[in-house]
Amino acid sequence: MPSATPTRLSHSAALILKAISLGYRFGLDVMEVTGLPSGTVYPALRRLERDELVESKWEPEDEAFASNRPARRYYQVTRTGKAAALAATERYPLLARLLPEKQA
Amino acid sequence: MSHRLPTPLPRFDRSLLRAAGLLVPFSERQDWCDSWQAELWHMHHHRRSRFASLRLSADVSYGLVLDALWLRAESWRRTFGGTPILCIASLFTLCSAVLLLAFLLNTGSHQLTGHFRAIIGRSLGAAPLVIFVAYATASPSHEAQNSRSRPFAWLNRKLFLVVKTLLVLLFTCLLSTDITHPLHKLFPLTADLIQVLAFVFFSLLALRWSFFDQEQRCKQCLRLLTTPARVGRPSRNLLEWNGTEQVCKQGHGTLSVPEIETSWHQYSQWIEQVSEAS
Repeated sequence: MPSATPTRLSHSAALILKAISLGYRFGLDVMEVTGLPSGTVYPALRRLERDELVESKWEPEDEAFASNRPARRYYQVTRTGKAAALAATERYPLLARLLPEKQA
Repeated sequence: MSHRLPTPLPRFDRSLLRAAGLLVPFSERQDWCDSWQAELWHMHHHRRSRFASLRLSADVSYGLVLDALWLRAESWRRTFGGTPILCIASLFTLCSAVLLLAFLLNTGSHQLTGHFRAIIGRSLGAAPLVIFVAYATASPSHEAQNSRSRPFAWLNRKLFLVVKTLLVLLFTCLLSTDITHPLHKLFPLTADLIQVLAFVFFSLLALRWSFFDQEQRCKQCLRLLTTPARVGRPSRNLLEWNGTEQVCKQGHGTLSVPEIETSWHQYSQWIEQVSEAS
C-alpha cells in the first residue's frame, strides 16, 4: 500500500527513480545513464516496484518484433513515485543536474 | 508469457540464466527468465567497443545473480517474516553461536563438561526467581473482545512462550558464561559470582523482551502485528480512545493499546475479526 508521506530513499534509489522519471525506462538504460552497477540497479528496481514507486509492464510484442528485437520489460513512475522523486530532488539537489532528460 | 528471441543468446548466458533461475521462486521464474533474456539480448546487440562490451557483460551477469537472490530473499521474507518459526529459528541460531563460542574458548572437552555442569546448576537455581520477577513486572495481558474459545490457539500461544522462554534462558546462560570466561582463570570465585549476576541481568532483559514480543503477536496465528496507527486525540484522554492500533496481516484481529491506562480502557484490547461465514 503506498504511504501517505513521501518515502525516504537512499541516494542510489533516488538516482534510479529520477532516471526513470526522466524517461529511461529499461534496466540497461538506467545503468548507463546513472553509471551504477547492475548489482545495484536491478535489486533497487525490484524494491521500488515492491514499494509501488514504479510499475513495470511488458512492451507490446508485435511492436518489438516489427523492429526485429524481443519485447522488454519497461518501468514507469507511479503517482506515489512522482511525489517521492520530487522529495528526493529536494533532498539531493544535485540529482536534477546529474541526469540529462532522455531524448525521444 | 514466453517471449521469442530473434537470435539465440550465447551459451554462457543461457547456462547462467538456467543456473540463476533455480534461485528464483517457481511462480516468478518464467517472467524473470523472459525479462533477463530480453535484457541480455539488447546488451549483446548494442554497438560498443569490445572491452566495454566485456565489462558490461560481466557486470550484468553479476546483477542477474543478485536479482535472482533478491527475489528468493524477498519470497522468504514474505513467507517467514514475523512468524513464530522465524523467531524460534533466530533464537536457536543465537544459542548455537554462543555455544560454539563456548566450545572455542574452552579447549578440553572434559574441562568443558565440568565447567558447564556447574554453570547450569547455578543458573537453574536463579532461573525460577528471574522468571517470577519478569512475569510479575510484565504488563498485564490483554482483554479480549469477540473472543471465542479456541483451545488450540491458546495451547499454541503457551507452547510458543515456553519454548521462547527456554531458548532465551539458555542463550543468556551461555552468553554470561562466554563473557566471564577470560576472568575465570584468574579469579574463579569472582567470575562465578559475576556469571550469576550477568545471567540474572541478561535474562531479566531477555524475558521482558519475550513477554513484550508475545503481546505484539496475533492471538490466533502468532505472527507479529503490523502497521501501527495512532488513533484518538491526546487532548481528550479522559473522554475518548487515545492510543495505538496494530493489525494482523492475515486479518485475524486488531490490538488496541491505550496511551495511558486511565483513558477509556485500562488495558490493551485484542479485538478479534469475526468472519461473515461464522
